[in-house]
Amino acid sequence: MDLNRPALPLHNKAANKTALAATALAAALLLSACGGGVAPQGAEQAAAADPSSGANASGNVNICGVKDASGIYKGTAEAFTKANGKVTAKYTEIGATTDEARTQIVQRLEGKSTECDLFVTDVIWTSEFASQGWLLDQTKLVEANKDRLIPSTVETTKYQDKYWGSPFFTNAGLIYYQKDKVAKPETWQQLYTEAAKAPGNGFVYQGKQYEGLTVNFLEMLYSAGGEVLDDQGNVKIDSDETREVLNFMTEGLKNGSADRAVLTYNEDPARLAYESGNFGYQRNWPHVYRLLNATPLASSFAVAPLPAWEGGKASGVLGGWNLAISAHSTNQAGAVAFIDFATTPDWQKHVAMDFSQAPVNEAAYSDPGVLQKMPFATELLASVKAAKPRPISPVYPQISQAIYKNVYAVLSGTASTEDAVKKMAEEITTAKASF
Amino acid sequence: MALKTIQPGSAPPHAPSAPKTNARDRAERRLAFRMTAPSLILMALVAAVPIGYALWLSLNQYSVRTAGLSRFVGLENYINALASHEWWAAFGQTFLFAGLSVTLELILGTAMALLLNLAFKGRAVLRTVVLLPYAIVTVVSAITWQTMFQPNLGLVTNVLSALGLPGGDVVWLGEHGYAMAVIVLADVWKTTPFAALIILAGLQVISSETYEAAELDGASKWQTFLHITLPLLRPAIVLAAIFRTLDALRVFDLPFVLTRGANGTESMSMLAYTELRENRLVGEGSALSILTFLTVMVVSVIYIRFGGGNIRDVAKEEQ
Amino acid sequence: MSTLTAERTTAAPATGRKSPKRRLRGEAKLHPMVWVFVVAVMGFSLIPFYWLVNTSLKKGASLSQGELFPSQPTLENYLVVFQNPEFLLALRNSVIIAVVTTTVALVCASFAAYALARLKMRRKAMILTLILSVTTFPAIAIAAPMFSIWRDIGLYDTLLGLIIPKLTFALPLAIYTLTSFFKEIPRELEESAYMDGATPFVAFRKVILPLAVPGLATTAILVFISVWNEFLLAVTLTSSPEARPVPVAIAFFSGTSEFDQPLGTISAASVIITVPLVILVLLCQKRIVSGMTAGAVKG
Repeated sequence: MDLNRPALPLHNKAANKTALAATALAAALLLSACGGGVAPQGAEQAAAADPSSGANASGNVNICGVKDASGIYKGTAEAFTKANGKVTAKYTEIGATTDEARTQIVQRLEGKSTECDLFVTDVIWTSEFASQGWLLDQTKLVEANKDRLIPSTVETTKYQDKYWGSPFFTNAGLIYYQKDKVAKPETWQQLYTEAAKAPGNGFVYQGKQYEGLTVNFLEMLYSAGGEVLDDQGNVKIDSDETREVLNFMTEGLKNGSADRAVLTYNEDPARLAYESGNFGYQRNWPHVYRLLNATPLASSFAVAPLPAWEGGKASGVLGGWNLAISAHSTNQAGAVAFIDFATTPDWQKHVAMDFSQAPVNEAAYSDPGVLQKMPFATELLASVKAAKPRPISPVYPQISQAIYKNVYAVLSGTASTEDAVKKMAEEITTAKASF
Repeated sequence: MALKTIQPGSAPPHAPSAPKTNARDRAERRLAFRMTAPSLILMALVAAVPIGYALWLSLNQYSVRTAGLSRFVGLENYINALASHEWWAAFGQTFLFAGLSVTLELILGTAMALLLNLAFKGRAVLRTVVLLPYAIVTVVSAITWQTMFQPNLGLVTNVLSALGLPGGDVVWLGEHGYAMAVIVLADVWKTTPFAALIILAGLQVISSETYEAAELDGASKWQTFLHITLPLLRPAIVLAAIFRTLDALRVFDLPFVLTRGANGTESMSMLAYTELRENRLVGEGSALSILTFLTVMVVSVIYIRFGGGNIRDVAKEEQ
Repeated sequence: MSTLTAERTTAAPATGRKSPKRRLRGEAKLHPMVWVFVVAVMGFSLIPFYWLVNTSLKKGASLSQGELFPSQPTLENYLVVFQNPEFLLALRNSVIIAVVTTTVALVCASFAAYALARLKMRRKAMILTLILSVTTFPAIAIAAPMFSIWRDIGLYDTLLGLIIPKLTFALPLAIYTLTSFFKEIPRELEESAYMDGATPFVAFRKVILPLAVPGLATTAILVFISVWNEFLLAVTLTSSPEARPVPVAIAFFSGTSEFDQPLGTISAASVIITVPLVILVLLCQKRIVSGMTAGAVKG
């Protein structure tokens, strides 16, 4: 009985105190929720980065982005800190996947966080971030560095005639092929014909319903002369070229040029399937080169740039990452200094040699050191220079979904080409009209 | 204490009797309040603000093209969602998934619980083994199932091919129906232990007298199970059903990793994720989240009200 | 009469009350079908787990060969995982988070559950519904606002900042399970305590809690695992290895580029982190099935 009172979890007084504290905390939470503003508030005129400010920079620069798989981000931050002497750069991994990193970056930008000075941004994020006023205008900086950057890579940082980032390293699709089984691909048609000849010649690509399918599809569409949006931003996807490419890909799945399993592949499963030795061609990114060299296929594979469309030219889609300065950065000068360092021709060689990434400086591709580490640098450069950015629009995610969902529907046989093309055009038009 | 009036077996020890009961009642209610307060306050503090905030977001639209632009649209986001084909497709697919996986999990979970309750050598091993899948991080279990069903390289596809069984050459995750089957299987594998554990706990409170009475009546084992064990297990089964359904209706990781929603596997949560995270249509995405939430709540309340079990009894104790 | 029930009768002592613990103690021939079922259940649970272990023993090119048995098994992935300081840190974080959360959740939830199951209280239906609604809300809609609040009040990227929301979202499961369990405990036992002059709180501590040990153990395991595995909040509310729990740390394992997943090390880490759970289950397993008789029914 007497045990009862003291054993109560909350004594009267304590209860009052707790209630008080709870109320206070609740109020604080409410205030911060509203004040912290997850929603965009108030348009701002974007400030511009001053290219000359880098020279006098000091302090700390925090670079944020996706996990550093190749080591390039941390490596560059270290090298920069050592070379600069006044500015200390640090890399913070804020997302394990590209999607997660974007979410984390958006959360910081929406909350006007000053935690990160620089963001490593996927090339497809530029217009979205720029249109929200989240980034510093880098036009002057890019103009100043333009002669050392490959033009196609600079295009990925452009939105409404201004540049919102500087290219850091780029990426483009390549074809890996078994030279003992199949011929070097000159055109997509030849590749598909060759691939259908024998069961072991097949073509693997990324056909899962995700961003990678948009890339794989656009690579063919661009080389066939098609486009998604024209320079004025009009929707141009409802075209003969789109139908031709879709029919071509569907036919390839039917006649055995490509295994139906590609419908479940993103980059890694495609690579693993190819490594099993049961295929002739693989479309993938440059990173596969090093991995393939560690397999029994090391001596039998070769690399080629993406092929041309028959009667057309070779083209492709640019991947890669840019450096964007946060509008809320407290050390913009330091960020400029870091960008200056990262894009120097000398460091761009290290980008290839030390981290196996594709440089944004053309001269690096013919550097002997780079060629030794990346014997396919010539092919890669050809792919990079021929490649184009994905559609430039603040609603790119919706546009890409319209593409990959409808392309997937055609490939998996649940929609006709005609219906899918119409639907794609409709959805992209709707997306562009988003509020 | 004036408790002598209470008869064993009569309901609560606080049956109204003397004037003193009022004071007692009040003391008891105060105690009840104090005992629930820590949990309720914590939940209110942590969850209320974000939930309320999401509710507010769902009544607005936020421009994805112009910085800082937003407008109040009332229920428009909800109306648009409910008028869209995507929502109802996801709705149907989610219920199909939840229906299949929860049914299988409850049947298998009950069987597992009965098994774990038996006395035999090595049951400690069985108990541990059975729980292993539940301990695997969901995303990793999704990757494991993905590689098991990978054409040419996977365990399942290879074994099926080697045995000449159908399915070896099927691209499981690339076909309607098959993709759903893999997702259901992966979920059943991972979460049946959850149901089994709850039901096992339920088995513990069935007293042996009950069985003995049945034995004396000459009931067969099956009859005993059907007419005694199962009804007595009902609270535990309903409890497992509530939490499994609640989770299954919000399924996200499995379809996200395995198919990205292709081949008839897009769930309500994935739809909300796409709008909220990928497209940053904050208003529309929040509306979808809240629709998902309401759907799940309706199902939960139906379970509590009509599923039987003692949670319903608690809910009915309006005093 | 079936084998099982027959066993039960013989195993039970001839006099006095038999405990349910003894009830099924028939250490004897189970029906052959039961064994078939044991094997089937083990197989279903273990085959995917085997595949995970199999993957964890492969590296490099052999990951793409789809062998049912690794031809060159290697423990290298395990070494890599153990030599990764961030993983060890994450393991520590996860243990702290899961243990603290589970303990606090059990204490809070058993209070709340007792009140719901036994005491007079207004609006129990509403309280039950509210409690459930906390876990029913899609986490993705909560994550973003929570991120900004946590940052503003300094809980972002801290262990406490993870424990609080995980506790919140674990409480409904714990409260429901325990309420349901307490409700099943026969009233008579408490009533005899009341006869002896106990208050409801004393009855709760002295009668209900000891009887509810299987329910508490079960709840502990369920809460522990759900907290251990939770990913979305963990990834949203942390940004450094000092606060990251295991599932997030595993996601941060990287291959050689953004596109390749280190399947081998991910699998090895996943196998490793089942160990704490196995220990937990082994510790709790006697409790899970000890029956309410443990200290109960006065003989």
